[in-house]
Amino acid sequence: MARRAEFSVVGRDQVRLDGADKISGRSVFTDDVRLPGMLAGRILRSPLPRARILAIDTSRARRLRGVKSVVTAADAPKLWVGINQPLLSGDVVNHVGQEIAAVAAVDDDVAAEALRLIDVKYEPLPEILTMKRALAPDAPTLHGKLKNNIAWEQAEDHGDPDAYFAAAAHVRSDEYITHASHNCYAELHVAVADFSRPDRLTLWSPTQTALLFQKSLAGAFGLSESAVRIMCLNSGGGFSGRTATRPHHFLAALLSRKAGRPVKIRANADEEFLMCRAGGRVEYRFRSAVDQAGRLTAVEGDLTFDCGAFVESQMIILVLTSSYLDSLYDVKATRYRGRLVHTNNLPYYFHHGGGLAQFQFAFGQHINSLALDLDMDPIDFHLLNAVEKGHTTLRGTHYASCGLKECITRTAEQADWPKKHRKRGPYRGIGIGIGAMASGAKGMFKHDTSAAFIKIAEDGRASLFTGLPDMGQSSHTAMAIIAAEVLGIQPTDITVVSGDTDVAPLDVGAFTQRGTFTTGNAVKNASLDARRQLEQVAAAKLDVPAADLEFRDGRVYPKGQPENAFDFGKLVFETLHSREGRFVMGRGFYNSPLLTGSMAYSFGAQIAEVTVDPDTGIVTVERVVAAHDVGRALNPRIVEGQIDGQVFSGMSQALFEETELDSGQVMNPSRLDYKMPRAFEMPEVEHIIVESIDPHGPFGAKEVGEGPIVCTMQAIANAVADAIGEPITEMPITPWRVLKALSRRRG
Amino acid sequence: MSKRQIELSVNGDRYVLTVPVHATLLEVLRDQVGLTGTKRGCTSGACGVCTVQREDAAAVLSCLSLAVDWDGKSVTTIEGLASPDGLHPLQEAFLELGAVQCGYCTPGLVMTAKALLDRSEAPNDAAINEALAGTLCRCTGHIKVKHAIRAAIQRTLETRDRDGTTG
Repeated sequence: MARRAEFSVVGRDQVRLDGADKISGRSVFTDDVRLPGMLAGRILRSPLPRARILAIDTSRARRLRGVKSVVTAADAPKLWVGINQPLLSGDVVNHVGQEIAAVAAVDDDVAAEALRLIDVKYEPLPEILTMKRALAPDAPTLHGKLKNNIAWEQAEDHGDPDAYFAAAAHVRSDEYITHASHNCYAELHVAVADFSRPDRLTLWSPTQTALLFQKSLAGAFGLSESAVRIMCLNSGGGFSGRTATRPHHFLAALLSRKAGRPVKIRANADEEFLMCRAGGRVEYRFRSAVDQAGRLTAVEGDLTFDCGAFVESQMIILVLTSSYLDSLYDVKATRYRGRLVHTNNLPYYFHHGGGLAQFQFAFGQHINSLALDLDMDPIDFHLLNAVEKGHTTLRGTHYASCGLKECITRTAEQADWPKKHRKRGPYRGIGIGIGAMASGAKGMFKHDTSAAFIKIAEDGRASLFTGLPDMGQSSHTAMAIIAAEVLGIQPTDITVVSGDTDVAPLDVGAFTQRGTFTTGNAVKNASLDARRQLEQVAAAKLDVPAADLEFRDGRVYPKGQPENAFDFGKLVFETLHSREGRFVMGRGFYNSPLLTGSMAYSFGAQIAEVTVDPDTGIVTVERVVAAHDVGRALNPRIVEGQIDGQVFSGMSQALFEETELDSGQVMNPSRLDYKMPRAFEMPEVEHIIVESIDPHGPFGAKEVGEGPIVCTMQAIANAVADAIGEPITEMPITPWRVLKALSRRRG
Repeated sequence: MSKRQIELSVNGDRYVLTVPVHATLLEVLRDQVGLTGTKRGCTSGACGVCTVQREDAAAVLSCLSLAVDWDGKSVTTIEGLASPDGLHPLQEAFLELGAVQCGYCTPGLVMTAKALLDRSEAPNDAAINEALAGTLCRCTGHIKVKHAIRAAIQRTLETRDRDGTTG
C-alpha cells in the first residue's frame, strides 16, 4: 500500500509505550503515592439540599488523638472554587454534599472518627429541586441578584431563520430530555497535596490539564504559578470530567498547609457520586425547516440546563451546543437559545461526550424524525444535507478536510442498511447517528499552545518532553510516533517524559480533543528542529544538500540511496563529538492561528441494530458499525480502541446511566445501582477508519478522542424508534421508558 | 484498635504482618506489603479493579476480603504474574491487542482472566463474559479485553499441542 511506503512508523500498529508498566502493576497512580508523614484527609458534607448553618462545633474533633488539622470556612474566608461557590460554606449550604469542614489525621480511621465528632446545626430552607420550580416567578433566589435563578444565558442567531420557517415546505418540532449522569471513572477522585512549605505547593492528581490546575491553585492560595507543581503520571480515565480543579484539591492543600504535612484525600464509593458531578438534566426543544427538495434550511434549538447549585465552567456547554446547530448540515439559518438554571441539585460539569453527545441524542433523533416525515430514508437525508470539504459554517468554521459523506455511505454499505431500515420486523430496529468534533478549540486563552522539547542522547535514543496528559488514550505513544517518523527512528527509541509541571513545557491539556492535533504539531516542530541540527552534520559527511536527506529506519541517507546510509546513532554521536560539540535538543510549539474554534474537525457515522423485548422493555444492542474520519490513523489499533470505548460509553449513557435524585440526594450512589453495561451486554464494534488527510494535522491526523461518542446515542435511539415505531424522547432509554412508549402505542 | 498477627504468602514470598482486624486484604497488600499494582476502586465489590487470585486459582475481590481470614494462605497479585522468562501470555495478549488504556482496571481484568484460564481448559465466549461480569471498564468497553483473552487461550492451547503436554 502507498501509505506503507510513505511512512515508516505512522499508520503501523504500535503497542503503547507505557503498556508494559500498566500490565505489570508498576504504573503509579495518585493513590499509590506515599510520602513521608502523609496524613489522611476527609471532608464533612451537607446532608441537606438547602439550609442555613447555625453553628459548627469542631472542638471535639480537634481534641481527638491523631487529628492534625481541622478546617472550616473560617480557615478559608477568601477561597472560592467557582464564580459563586465558596470552598467551605459557613452560612448557607446549597446542595447535598457541599463541603463544610475537612480534617486531616494520622490515618483514615481517625479522620473518619473526627468527622463524626463535628457538630453542625442546620436550619432547613425551602429548596429548589427542579428547573421548573427554579424558573417560577415566586421561587426563592439561590444566588443574590440572579433573576429567575438563571445563571447564564446565550442567544445566537445566524441568517434569518424566520424567513426560512415562513417559506418552509415542512416544519417539525420536538422536545427531549437527558437526565443527570456520572462519569464512573475506574479511579475514584483522589488528590495528594504537599504544602508543608508555605512557598511551595505540590499536588498529585489525575487530570486532563495540569496547566489549569496550576493556575487555579496558584490563584486560590496567592502563589506564583511556578510555585505550584502538578504531578500526574497516570489517570484512571478522563471522560471530560477531569478538566478542572474540584473542592477536594483545594481542601487537600489547605489541610496540608495547616498541618505542615502532606495530605491525601480520596473518595469513598458513595462520596464519589457527590464529588464528581457530571451531566445534569437538560431539556431540549428543536424546530427545523426543510424546503421542497428536502434540504434543511433553518434550525432552532432551545436548551435549558440544570447546572445545580453553583456555576464554574458549565457555560462552556452553551458555546459548544450552540455551535453544533450548523456543524453537520449545510443550513442557511440557525437560532440558539440556551440557559443554565440554578437548583439545589449537585453542581454539574461534564460527562463523557462533553454535553455534545447528549445533545446529539436529541438533535439526531429530531433530524431522523424529520427525514421520516418527508418519507425520506435518513441516509439519503444526511447525504443530501451533509457538509463537505471546503464548507464554511454560518459561524465561520471552515472544514479543510471532511470525510462525513464517506463515513455515512460506508457504514450504510457495511450494515446493509437499505435491506434493513424499517424492514427488520417487529421489535427489531436499525438507526444511524452522525457527528462532527473539533480537534482542539481555542477560546479559553488568547493562545491554545502546546510546546514540546526533544533531546537526543549520544546513543541515539531520544527523550520527548510534553505536558500533554495521557488518561489512557495513548497520546504519549502517538507523540512518540510523530517524533519517530520525523527522526527516522522507532517509537520504542523514545522515552516520553511527562506528568510534572516543573519539567514539562507548557501544554493547555488533553481536552477539546486537542492532543493529537495541537500537541502533535508541537512535537512535530520540535522533532524537525532536532532533525535540522543533525542534517547539517549529515549533509557535510554525505556531501549532499540537507534538503536531499532522508531519515528512515534508524539511518540517514541521500534520498533514493539507502546504500549510502549513515547510522542515526552514529550521526548523533559525531554531532556531539565534534569541534562544535553540539548536543541535539529540539524545541517546538503549536498555536492555532485562529482566534476561536479549531483548524480541523473530525467526522463520523455509526449504525446500530437493536432488539427490544416487548415484555420487559429491555433493549439489546446487537451490532454497531462505526466509521470515523480521523484524518490519518497514526496508530490504527489504538484508534479502534478509542472508538470501542466511546461506543461503550455512548451505549451506556443511551440505555443505562442515570443519577437518580430525590430531594437533591443521589439515590443510586454505587456501581451496583448505577448501571453500566457488563461485558455480556456489549456487542462487537465494526470499525471503518476514514482518512481524509487534514492539511493542518500532523501527518494529516485529527482527533478521535470524542468524535465517535457523539454518534452512538442517537444511533441507538433511532434504532429503538425503528424497532417500536415511536421515538423515546428521554435518555437513558430504560426498560420503564420503553414500556411506557409501548403502552402509549397500544393505546 | 484490635490487631492480629497473620502469616501471608504473596506471590511466593512469606510476610508476617500485624493487621487491624477490620483491615481488608486490599489495604494490607497496598499499605503494608507495599504492592500497589492491585488497585483500590469502588471498595464495594462492584468494579473488580482489586481482583487477586487465591491458592485454588479462584478470583477474589480483595476489597471485600478481611486480611485476618488469610492467615496461613497464599495470594497471587498482578506483580506475581510475569516470570523471569517474560510476561504471562495474558499480559502479552492484552498489550499486543490494545486491551490496555488508562490501566487502572487492567490488573483486575488480567487477574480475573487468569483465574478463568487457570480453572478451565478452553473457556468459551459465554464463560469469558461471565468471568468479566464483575468488572467495569469505560475505556475499552471490554471489547479488546475479550479479544486478548481469546488470543491468550488460543496461544496456550497451541503451546500445549506443540509441546505435547496435557493440561
